[in-house]
Parts: sequence; structure tokens; C-alpha cells
Amino acid sequence: MSEITLTINGKQVKGKQGDTVLAVCEANGVKLPTLCHYKGLTDVGACRLCLVEIEKERKPVPACLYPARDGIVVVTSNEKLEKYRRLVLELLFTERNHLCAYCVASGDCELQSLAYTYQMDNARYQYSWPNVIVDSSHPYVVLDHNRCILCGRCIRTCDEITGAHALDFGKRGWKTTVSADINQPLGESSCISCGGCFQACPTGAIFSKGSAYKGRPDECTVVESSCAICGIGCEVKGLVKNNRLVRIDSPDMSRERGLLCDMGRFEPLYKPAERVTTPMKRDAKGQLASCSYEEAFGAIAKKLGGMDSVAALASGKASTEALKAFADLNKALGTKLVDTLDGDDFRTISQGIAKFDSKAGLKIEATLEDILSADAILIIGAHPVKTHPVIGSYVMRAASKNKAQLVVLDPLRNPFTFRASVWLRPPEGKKGLAIKALGNAILDHGKVAGDKTKFSAEFKEVEARKAAKTLGIDVNDIYKAAEVLAESKNSVIIYGSGILQFKDADMVATILNLAGLISSKPKVISLKRYGNSRGAWELGISNSKSSVTSELTKGKIKGLYLLLADDLADSQALADSMKGINFAVVQASYLSPVTAKADVVLPSLLWTESKGSYTTLDGISKSTAPMIKGPAGIKSDADTLKGIVKHLEK
Amino acid sequence: MAKVKVATVWLEACSGCHMSFLDIDEFIIDVSKLVEFHRSPITDIKTFTPVDVGIVEGSVGNEEEKEIIEELRHNCKILMAWGDCACFGGVCAMRSSLNKDDVLRCGYIETASTYKGKIPQSPGVPALLDKVYPANQIVKVDCYIPGCPPEPEAIKYGLTELLAGRIPVLPSNIMRFD
Repeated sequence: MSEITLTINGKQVKGKQGDTVLAVCEANGVKLPTLCHYKGLTDVGACRLCLVEIEKERKPVPACLYPARDGIVVVTSNEKLEKYRRLVLELLFTERNHLCAYCVASGDCELQSLAYTYQMDNARYQYSWPNVIVDSSHPYVVLDHNRCILCGRCIRTCDEITGAHALDFGKRGWKTTVSADINQPLGESSCISCGGCFQACPTGAIFSKGSAYKGRPDECTVVESSCAICGIGCEVKGLVKNNRLVRIDSPDMSRERGLLCDMGRFEPLYKPAERVTTPMKRDAKGQLASCSYEEAFGAIAKKLGGMDSVAALASGKASTEALKAFADLNKALGTKLVDTLDGDDFRTISQGIAKFDSKAGLKIEATLEDILSADAILIIGAHPVKTHPVIGSYVMRAASKNKAQLVVLDPLRNPFTFRASVWLRPPEGKKGLAIKALGNAILDHGKVAGDKTKFSAEFKEVEARKAAKTLGIDVNDIYKAAEVLAESKNSVIIYGSGILQFKDADMVATILNLAGLISSKPKVISLKRYGNSRGAWELGISNSKSSVTSELTKGKIKGLYLLLADDLADSQALADSMKGINFAVVQASYLSPVTAKADVVLPSLLWTESKGSYTTLDGISKSTAPMIKGPAGIKSDADTLKGIVKHLEK
Repeated sequence: MAKVKVATVWLEACSGCHMSFLDIDEFIIDVSKLVEFHRSPITDIKTFTPVDVGIVEGSVGNEEEKEIIEELRHNCKILMAWGDCACFGGVCAMRSSLNKDDVLRCGYIETASTYKGKIPQSPGVPALLDKVYPANQIVKVDCYIPGCPPEPEAIKYGLTELLAGRIPVLPSNIMRFD
């Protein structure tokens, strides 16, 4: 881009062709007041605070929308402009009910802070005092229309960053409000609870229930970390006061993986279950009672150390450091059966990849950012909005920004089915046939990859027309989907639990073959269940041939070491499968049906309390930093596991 | 030099602004040397006499308050507003977005602790205005010290400037709306 020179407040400054006047001002340290401008969002010129005078322009113009051109002369501040700005502030204060003294955002409000800057000690206009509602129907955020200035930052965040577009302006003229869907209560709308609107809101119009009145940002310490929940590894910024998480923000929502979702932004502010705060073991009466680490380690070394049929299971929520120590413990115990809770997923994916290409391994998978540049996305048996919301956002952004066409192959409805160009809805259990039919239709379409013969064998076996009848799908839909994929230039295939639940490696191989057939060579992404699933798999913890969870039910395993970390998922099912166990050790953050079955319980820190490494589902290393301190005296997962090894060596 | 005559009134508000005034520490001694209080909740004088400076705390929400602020304005040369209520409407103005009759019914009849409630009708009880107004929507106000309550620092600044013969405008660093 070519460089331009313009004059701002009498000084010659340089900018780039295509920049706005506001961008040039910001780059050159000239401060302009803004309210509706937000990093990463399209500017709209709604608030009129960044008005500047430009020579030869008839009237002041908003700097955020005015293109910087070579040679223009800009004045950002003079008596008239400052008068206008104060006037705008007074109008904003009188439009809705801005009563700072009882607003949750007081002290952390851009409107209030601008009013201070402009010494706005009164408003000369008649107040509207509109009777507007406070919508608290959402589990995490409150939409208080009293404080809204209609800057539209929430709406643009929801559309351009989250991709959900649940929020928009409703009604007209001075009755305009921010409205969810078609004026639905926010809690019943298509909102995906990412909280982006809350972070973008300049006033107290959208606030978080879990953060309200816990402390103002200027009273908090800030800890940058990355989220360890689902395996995307979003960057987070924890605001902490008195060892309490006040809020979790994204350091920069305009960055990749800077978006966050409800799991990363809001859930850590709440306590889902009672914590395990000390080591515990069964006392003489058979009750779990607090004990020292030494006593717990002693009991474990004595019992598990002497057992033959010991199995060990880890959750993919544990950090890489913990999992390494877990592997060492298993070596010391001589445990033959070691697995992760999602070991079956690993075996299905890795065997599927091996069938497709014996040397490829997990590296064959795409990085998540490939989704953003895709023009066609095939989603098979996955509900990313629920399981990996940020991936859901990536898909929605690709659909709205790149006009990417979506093809959904899923018996179940998900937020993409109504946005999709085609929704192929095979009956449950017949997804494999549907994928093959799609492959056959692509072969029919003709535009296929050069080396198609390598991949096409299994797609020749089925005939799209016949398969469509069996599947109860309109054959035209299959051909339309085939066309979308065959004609794409940059495509991605995403599959998840809807495929993996069948533990059928052939189906994974079929998906990879389908990708091989398409001329744009789609990149394939599998959705893994836990924050560190891939990390555990790469450490070889899921290398067991059969699943330990299914071995458990057979009754041959007598001793069990279970590293749950902060995993609470499926705890009842897991507890039920532990019936035949004589001695179980559970290392977990929360009390659950599983800890109730344990003979020894060891406490575990949360990801928000500990330093640890995690591997994202697309293979990137991320690490967490402790934002808050865990309950006093709790060792890290790795140290706990190392402590047991030491005891075994005694 | 003759003392500056000051009258203060406390309208629809919590008295927090007057408390904040009493919280200006030893400066209050300097103030008392320079200022003579006429009608004020501090002196308990109930009648107006012409003064140099009028100070109003609170918003205007009923007929009596409207009368008082009009009379104060009539009797003072400079009128200063103290606190969010007088400057913007404040907490009292929460009712402005509601219907006056609904507010009365809710307050006097529907509250959980009310038994056989009645809305006061006596002519001795001033009638509510339809909305609650900041001072400048009823009379001309010359200067403002916002805050809920204003910091003693802000009150001190306002008085110092007035005594020096200037109309105070709070600098950004001591202005607070909460």
C-alpha cells in the first residue's frame, strides 16, 4: 500500500492509502474520543464523537469513516468541535436513563469517562426518561436498555467476530433498541453466550452476572493465560481481585483465537461442584476422611503397588506435565492398561488416518484458521457451536464474510442446518453410506482431484441415486452438495462425535478419501473432546489396544488410578463402571459420584489455578498461567503423581 | 470585608451532599470565617432572605420542592447544584421513566409490608410532579458539583472558586458521578 502524507493539527504525518483519518490519528498518537469505534469491527460513524474538520469539507466529518488521502488538512480539536462533542455527550446522557450512581459499570464506563474528560457537569436537554426493560433472561449476561447508547458495538461483535448475529437493532427511530433475534428475550434467542457483546459494550448496557460488583478493572490484577477447556486454546485475560476471578476477557477479540465462548469466559466464574480440598482416604468406618499427602501416598503405594490387574485412566483435561507424570507413575506401577477417557476417539481417528495414509498421523489435520479462509465447509456429525463454540464461530464467520457455502451431513439439527446450502439428513447410523453417496455424486459431477483413482474406489461401489432412496434424502440435494464441494476453491471438512461415537475407523478413512477426491483438497479437522486430548494422544497415553472404560465393566480390573483433573463430564457413568474395582484412586478437583467410589481421593487444581501446557486439537502448544490460587496446600497434579512414584521407590 | 451570604436547601435527596460538605475537615473553619449561613438545614433557619450564593442538593419531584427552588433562585445571585440529583436527577429520577400513579400505588398499597394502604390525599402533603427533574430543568443553575455524594474535595473546590469570585467548573480529575 502506498504511503500518503497528510496534515493533522498543523503537523505533517504519514499514513497508508486505505486508512481512515482515525487510524492515521491513532498511529500518530493524536487522541480522538470514540464510542462506537472498536478494534476489529467495521466502523459505522454512529456516535459522532470523532468528528474532525477537514479543509474543503463543508461540515465536520467522522474520522472513523473518512478515508485518509494524500494532502488533506485535518483539525481534530478546536472550540467548535469540542462544543459538538460535549453536546453529543449531553444528548447521549439524556436519551436513556444513565444514572451512574447505581450502574454496575460506574468507574469502568467509556461514556462516563468521556463525560469527565469533557467536564460535563450537567445536561442542557430535556431528559427522555424512556421506560425500557432490563432483560435478565440470559444465564450469564444482562441486557440493560437503560444504559444503552446504541453504538452497535455489541451487534457488530456478534455479527463480525462471533458470527452468530443474534443481536441487531430492532424498531425504528428514537424507539430503536438492541434486540435479540426478532425481539426475543436474550436467554431464549439464538445467542451462543460467547460474551463478546459484554466485552465490547462501552457502558453498563450489557454486563456479566458473574462479574457484577466483584470489582472494577482498575482494582484488579490482570493475568494473561490461555483457555484449557475445549482444545482450541483461546487467549484469555483474567481479572482478579482478592484471589477471586472477577471476569475473563479476551486480550484482543480481533485476534485469532481471541474470541472466547461461555465455557472459557463465564463458566470459570462459577463453581460447578464442591471442591476436593485435601487428600482423603477411607477411615476405619469406611468413610472418606481428610488425611495428609504422605498418608494418602502410603496407602496408594501399599495397595496399588502390590496389585497385578491395575488400570490407569486419564482425562484429556489434565495438563501435559500431569500426563507425563501420570505415564511415569504407570511405569513405576507396571500398569499394563493405560488409556484416556477419550481413547476410543484416538483409536478411531488414528486408525482411520492410517488406513488412508500409513505415514500421515495427526499432522494430516488442518489448523483451525483454515476454516476462516474456506469457501466451502462440510460438517459431518459435529455440533461445534455446542462442543467447540469458537470453531462454530469460525464457520459462521466464513459463511458471512467469505460467503462460504455450508454442507451439513447430520441426522441431528444444529445451528448450521438452517444456514447450510444443503443439509443432508441421513437416518442415524447411515452416515457412512451418505458420505459414500456424496463421494459418488462428486465423481459424477466430474470436477475431481487429479489423483482421484487413489481415493475413488469406495465411492464407485455405491450409486448416489440408489443410496438416496435408502437414505430417504432427495438425490438433488446430494448432487447440489457434490457441486458445492467439487466447485470449491478452498474447503474444509469438520467431523466430530457424531462420527467418532461409532468407533469406526473406516468411516474416518472414508471422510479422508472424500477429501482426497475433491479438487480443492479440503483440509480435515476432527473435534476432540478435551482441552488436552491431542496432548495426551501424542504422549502415547491412549496407545492401549482396547478401551479401559470397557475393560472396567468386564470385572477383571481390580485396581484403578483415575486422573480426572477438573473433568466432571460423565462422572455418573464412570462411577457405575467402577463397580468391580477393589481399590480406586481418584485425582480430581471436584467431588462427584466418581470420588464417592474412590478409596483414596487426591485434590487437583483447576486450569485457572495452575501453570500447565496443553496441545490444541490442531496441534499447537499453549500454556496456562495461574490466575488465582487454589485451595491452600494443594499440590500440582504433576507433583502429586511424582510424590506417589517416590513412595513406590521407598 | 462582609461575609458572603449563603443559603442551602435539601430537596429530593439523601442529605449526603450536606454530609460531604461537613466532611471538608479544617477547611470548614476557613469557610465559617468567610461565609454566613442563612436558610439551611445546617442553621435550621426556615425562611428565605436575599443571599449571594444559593446551594441546592437534590432533585425536584414535588410541588413543594419546586416552590423552594424557585424561591431560592429568586433570592440568590449565584445558584450552585450539589450532587447527582440536582445535576442530573440521580437516584430519585429512577421513577421518571414510570407512571406517577403506578409509583404511588406501588409505594403505598402494593408493597409487601403494607396493610390496607392508602395514597395520601391530604393537602398538607405536597403532590408529586409527573417526573423528577434536575435543578436546571426548573430554574437557571450557574454551576454544578456532581457526585453521589460529591467528594469533599469537589465541594471544597466549588466553594474556593466561588469565594475567589470565579464560577467553578470541576476539573476532570475530581469529577465523579458515583
